[in-house]
Amino acid sequence: MNKHLKMDERQSDVLADMAQGTVGRELARSEGPLKVSGRAVYAAESGDGTEAVGVLVRATIANGRVASIDAGDALALEGVLRVITDSRMVRRPAQGTANGAPAQDTSQVDHFGQPVALVVADTFEQARHAAHLLDIRYGVETADIDPETAREVETPEGKRLEQGAFDTAMDDAAASIDAIYTTPSQSAAPMEPHAALARWDGDRLTLHGAYQMLKYNRNELADALGIHPDNVRIVSRYVGGGFGSKLGIGPEAVAAAIAARAIGRPVRVVMSRAQVFEMTSRRSETWQRVRLAADRDGRLTAIGHDARVSNLPGEAFSEPVQIATHFLYGGASRHYETRIARLNRTCAGSMRAPGEAVGMLALENAMDELAHHLGLDPVELRLRNIPERHPENGKPFSSRGLADCLTTGADLFGWNRRNTRPGAKREGEWLVGLGMASAARSNILSEAQARVRLNTDGTATVETDMTDIGTGTYSILGQVAGEMLGLAPEDVTVELGDTAFPPGSGSGGSWGAGSVGSAVFLACQDLRAALAARLGCDPGEMTLKDGVATVSNRQTRLSDLVDEAMEATGHIEPGDTKQEMQQAAFGAHFAEVAVNSVTGETRVRRMLGVFAAGRILNLKTARSQCFGGMIFGIGAALTENLVHDPRDGHVVNRDLAEYHIPVNLDVPRLDVAFLEERDPWANPIQTKGIGELGISGAGAAVTNAIFNATGIRVRDYPVTLDKLLPGLPG
Amino acid sequence: MSAPAIRKDIRFLLNGDTVTLHDVRPGDMLLDFLRIRRGLTGTKEGCAEGDCGACTVLVGRLGRDGNLAYESVNACIRFLASLDGCHVVTVEHLKGADGGLHPVQQALVDHHGSQCGFCTPGFVMSLYGLWMSRPDADDRVIEKALQGNLCRCTGYESIIRAGRAISDYGLPQDDPLASERETVAHALRSLADGARVEIDSADGRIVIPADVDDLARVLEAEPDATIVSGATDVGLWVTKFMRDVAPVVFIGHIEGLKGVHTHGNLLVMGAGVSYSQAHGVFAEHVPQLAALVDRIGGEQVRNMGTIGGNIANGSPIGDTPPPMIALGATVTLRKRHNRRSLPLEDFFIDYGRQDRAPGEFVESVSVPLPPRDAQFAVYKVSKRRDEDITAVLGAFLLRLDGDGRVQQIHIAFGGMAGVPKRARAVEAVLAGQPWTMATVEAALDSFEIDYQPLTDMRASAAYRMLVAKNLLKRFFLETAQAGGGSKAA
Repeated sequence: MNKHLKMDERQSDVLADMAQGTVGRELARSEGPLKVSGRAVYAAESGDGTEAVGVLVRATIANGRVASIDAGDALALEGVLRVITDSRMVRRPAQGTANGAPAQDTSQVDHFGQPVALVVADTFEQARHAAHLLDIRYGVETADIDPETAREVETPEGKRLEQGAFDTAMDDAAASIDAIYTTPSQSAAPMEPHAALARWDGDRLTLHGAYQMLKYNRNELADALGIHPDNVRIVSRYVGGGFGSKLGIGPEAVAAAIAARAIGRPVRVVMSRAQVFEMTSRRSETWQRVRLAADRDGRLTAIGHDARVSNLPGEAFSEPVQIATHFLYGGASRHYETRIARLNRTCAGSMRAPGEAVGMLALENAMDELAHHLGLDPVELRLRNIPERHPENGKPFSSRGLADCLTTGADLFGWNRRNTRPGAKREGEWLVGLGMASAARSNILSEAQARVRLNTDGTATVETDMTDIGTGTYSILGQVAGEMLGLAPEDVTVELGDTAFPPGSGSGGSWGAGSVGSAVFLACQDLRAALAARLGCDPGEMTLKDGVATVSNRQTRLSDLVDEAMEATGHIEPGDTKQEMQQAAFGAHFAEVAVNSVTGETRVRRMLGVFAAGRILNLKTARSQCFGGMIFGIGAALTENLVHDPRDGHVVNRDLAEYHIPVNLDVPRLDVAFLEERDPWANPIQTKGIGELGISGAGAAVTNAIFNATGIRVRDYPVTLDKLLPGLPG
Repeated sequence: MSAPAIRKDIRFLLNGDTVTLHDVRPGDMLLDFLRIRRGLTGTKEGCAEGDCGACTVLVGRLGRDGNLAYESVNACIRFLASLDGCHVVTVEHLKGADGGLHPVQQALVDHHGSQCGFCTPGFVMSLYGLWMSRPDADDRVIEKALQGNLCRCTGYESIIRAGRAISDYGLPQDDPLASERETVAHALRSLADGARVEIDSADGRIVIPADVDDLARVLEAEPDATIVSGATDVGLWVTKFMRDVAPVVFIGHIEGLKGVHTHGNLLVMGAGVSYSQAHGVFAEHVPQLAALVDRIGGEQVRNMGTIGGNIANGSPIGDTPPPMIALGATVTLRKRHNRRSLPLEDFFIDYGRQDRAPGEFVESVSVPLPPRDAQFAVYKVSKRRDEDITAVLGAFLLRLDGDGRVQQIHIAFGGMAGVPKRARAVEAVLAGQPWTMATVEAALDSFEIDYQPLTDMRASAAYRMLVAKNLLKRFFLETAQAGGGSKAA
């Protein structure tokens, strides 16, 4: 049985008519017990101990080619099995949803730290030692490290837009802002280092990997190896965080597969933490110029958002910093331009909320600057500029809780206690301030399939190759199926992360829950129809709850109704609603900070995020997604900075001691509130994406609070002590 | 005194088993042993250098008082051989009273303290270690215990909530480790045979001296051995720099190096005193140093790292030497039966070079407590407040005479030179002058005589210089305002 839906029109809220009451509940994640007891198996530990170990060898030049590799000394070591320099190896990870191999042939070097070989040995120590004995000669070419001086800077036509009379609007404005903001390279730094374990059975490859989007990853891996995707199976049952860095197939997987084939034995390749920083994708550094023009009442007449970002030569991805600027605020005249510097730095790719995460740092700071300039409350300024429709293409919004998030958040946070004059509140050595920012993240539906089986014992099983990278997919898919089929959460088993199952959407772009959740929903609708047929009624006349089907006053246990397992596959595709409606989740962030007037140290004291993201499937997992996003914002605002050596671009701080993700004492009391919302245009379960919403604007709320505390506007992120120090009163 | 018996293996308890190993290599780490040799993959490797805490396990040891005490450590940089005589507890050993989830684990599930789950076993073990000793810990204590555990997805909020709720799910006295306590202590006592351990392999020699006198003997025979105390530094030489550390002598277990006592106003600490152990002593005598210790690494690092190790390795950004120099500490080195003491500041000769002869070891450090009429402050400046490496650390000791003039001033900085170093030129300008802002201002330029800091990614030379000057101003403002007492860190 199959049920297919192309999202061409508004959907009624079917879930609201269900009786189980599972969806929306604050349920603990179903796989939690496995994780707290150390029994959840991650890629690196999915072998049986007989596998050989591969260590990736890094390039030590920024640009050029490998002239020769003398592996004589390495191969002479005990336990060393092979030194692999296969032209199919990949130099960098694939971009998200690439569906094909990333740049191959590691004899070409385009950034310091890229892989150039794989050493395979019986043990890790042997392989690592051998890796250091390789005598690698390079033909060195001139490299571009600095975006300011890059020889090649593109300005793609598709990344320019001018609307109205922008310059005139700026000239005529009662108040205007023209400011430049910069953000540094950042790293996703998931806690689980990237890992792959490859095993061949004849021509068939099984790869246990740490990946987010298996249906694409399978095609990417097959393409890299030059084999048919049918011969590739990828398994990623538990993934220790990804944040974009595990979207596309990476060097460790391709190298492991090639090596395992070559030596006729399974091979495990795990990146060292340093390699995670050097070889997995980074978020591009950005240069952003934001121009705002407003009339005397603070109504925007023009918005300009120009950017320069970077990537390796030939990479199509560029950090889309203006993504939320397009629709968040009104203003008749608009101006956008993106330049892409071609640099020999680690490949840039999608890191959590590509675009908004750093674009909103600039836009929402500029809005704060404008509010200050106008003497207008920052919340009020935003409220005055919420556009009726998409200001560039006129599309209506599918649902939008921005105004409510702003006003509710202001109430909950005690925003009215904010001192409007910066630097006015002092507690001993500490200057105290409040700041806020809007949040927005485009909502996306991605094609997805899921299979649901109703078992003869009245339980159900959900199967899809969708992954759970910590997001809560195991839980929410079980809740959707349980709601539709009238089953308690423990009676639904969810099997994920295996390409043997129907292709889901993959985890990324915040689209997982809405897309795969809808596929599960559709499959269940089909099963409901089949059950109703057995009961001789319309599906709408049947109530399913706690394993019992009720039709008028007749009750039948599902286990009695299902004499042989019933199976259905749901299949959702984006359709016309994507073109017709502007879809996004919204929110508002509020932060209180204290800045030490002597040292410039910033302590975030409390933060609140209020969000409207359609139906919330599980309050607990959704809230946690927002907490996690908010601390990414704290990191972006205050500490995270991937430093490239100006000589060769190598990542200087390639460890967790020096790449500063927030530690728990950096993180204050966090609060998250959700507004009740449904989005009938987004998908049949009426959700919107939430995984990246929490980061959007969060960092700007922190830096705006720093301005309120100190009167110092730092436009170069992160706001470290040294940047505040010269301006502090002492 | 005769040499002890020699044993050729190491023995320790791992969860419920006794482990005897003859084939330990000098660079073997506990984490690899657990994951690869024992298949205990619940303990995760996130960084292999003691930064992230995903590999946290508990190590129990019989103290001098015969009591069994557990502490959290990073298995990734804990040398396997150093576990001789210990009880290693991993996440696999935890269970609830009914055989299901342990209270710590159930609290983390219910409060959603686990998301992607990779850091989770480390958090479980850190919280477990805390809860065993302090089941009623408040947020501050919980946060401190979790300082050395990184999480990238939960936002920590839920983990702290879980930490608060553990006792809702069970009590420490019902915990398996509590009920096994006597059995384990008995087993550890039977392992403690007073022998020296010597293990030789193709990768080199491991020696675990029986006691401090035996250490002196061992170093006589192996004068160039790498001495490993807490391994929070040397561990990285192996996992990160791939250095060959053999022959290696482990001293972390030696009770004779863990003594702490006061003689009048002198605090004498054995080189093997861990930061955690020192914290208690500091809290009593020099609270400024206790506050500083709170910002050294995370709990695991503080449990492992030692005062002596922080001195002996001579890092220019070690956190404890500058305040000790400011207090006028002396370090005692021992070779065979010969001891010599020298001012701590003289021990640091140049970057990477200390006044320690082959065969010599740091035995103790003597720290004069700040006199009652003195003002003492320590300030650590780092990019991230917690669990970060120091950019600049300044320590100040001041005594004024009856006229408010500077009778004594000691200023020492880390991060400003190749070694922890006194600001002699600044001190000279301040000496004898009235303690006023004008005096302080007049002394600031002299920082440029004392220090020529370098620029690296932690801080620029100009920033370091500015901070050093500002910290003196801060010290003035605090002492002038407070008129007594002082602050730290």
